[in-house]
Amino acid sequence: MRRRFYQVIRDLHLYLGLFSSPFVLVFGISVFFLVHAWLPKIGSETSTMRVVSGLPLPANLQGLSGRPLIDALKATLDKADVRGEVGFIRYTVQEEKLTIPVTIPGRETVVTINIASREATIVTRETGLAAAMATLHRSPGEHAPAIRMNWFYMEAWRWVADTTAYLILFISVSGIYLWYVLRAERRVGLVLLCAGALSFFGLAYALSH
Amino acid sequence: MPSATEPTANPPAASRLRVRLERWNRKLHYYAGLFLLFFLWLFAVTGLVLNHPTWSFSESWSKRTETNSERAITALGPELQGDLAQAREIMRQLGIVGDILWTTTRTNADQFVFQVRRPGHYYFIKADLALNRVTLRHSEVNLWGVMKVLHVFSGVQLDDPRQSRDWVLTTVWAYSMDAVAAGLIFMVLSSLYMWWELPQKRLLGAVILGLGSLICGLFCIGLRWFF
Repeated sequence: MRRRFYQVIRDLHLYLGLFSSPFVLVFGISVFFLVHAWLPKIGSETSTMRVVSGLPLPANLQGLSGRPLIDALKATLDKADVRGEVGFIRYTVQEEKLTIPVTIPGRETVVTINIASREATIVTRETGLAAAMATLHRSPGEHAPAIRMNWFYMEAWRWVADTTAYLILFISVSGIYLWYVLRAERRVGLVLLCAGALSFFGLAYALSH
Repeated sequence: MPSATEPTANPPAASRLRVRLERWNRKLHYYAGLFLLFFLWLFAVTGLVLNHPTWSFSESWSKRTETNSERAITALGPELQGDLAQAREIMRQLGIVGDILWTTTRTNADQFVFQVRRPGHYYFIKADLALNRVTLRHSEVNLWGVMKVLHVFSGVQLDDPRQSRDWVLTTVWAYSMDAVAAGLIFMVLSSLYMWWELPQKRLLGAVILGLGSLICGLFCIGLRWFF
């Protein structure tokens, strides 16, 4: 019975670890970009601009804000062939302009709509793989939950990111069990576990007190 | 428990080397995981919490405690050139330590506004250099707030080049995050090696790894192709 339990845990540790490994690599590698505010240029960064006219706009545009505004502008963005996660929309009253940032991991698009002429200037910047990983690492993030995850694929990414976190928790707990079963490794492992705990709590204490 | 990589009697040199590599790869996988365990738990749990800001149990900002005070400072000498030097001197006089955040552009040379942050503590400092007085607002958040800040506490921001690390402990923590990331990457690579050394698990493992890579690739690269 105990042996069977060990085998099941070992297999789950292995297979769930394999499934989550590409995601862990994405989170692990992007740490270097975020911690040092540095994005290596993997491939060339390109920028294109185009103009689209005759865009449909929601009737009650000025009365909307937040998520309802984003939802109302979805048809406009579809017509302009711009897809992705919509960020903070800025409305410049004097110029009668809407500035809409739209993000797909590795691509940033800014749609500026002239409300009077219903014409949009669309600037698209391909930012590359490193930027894509950094975007994914930070998504959805803690800010503006009311407007975040307004694109299906980024909502799906939240599930994936959550699953990765849960899997890391499971894999670490099952890893402790698998280590504990190996009697020969207990002593060294315990020393390292204590050293890690000391480093972690020591640093956290020094930073917060 | 028996190991799948146990050495056989009198193997040739290349095989012995391979056995040693396997054994050390396995050991280092355990050791790295055990050493990094609390760091991994912190980043996994706070990753979830940051992804779900509406979870009420981990709310920290609305539960903060605030203290306001007004303090006199000694005049800043002319040798203190630049915002950073002046901010450091004000912090020294107030007994505050932490990383300086630049949130406002200075329009009046006598009015100096800046923030200082460290896990659990937010200081909002408004200095009147003509009157040598400082208005200080100090917000303190709960343990969840400390943990959430630890997740993101690097002193720099990708989209704000003005921010830089100016507290030694921020630098220490930033390099600790690097070390955790490097450890995680090593653990992934070592686990791939261990899996590959188990021929009976290769097929199912390859299917699962392929599925994970496909989904991950969709988000990292594929979305740009499809849309």
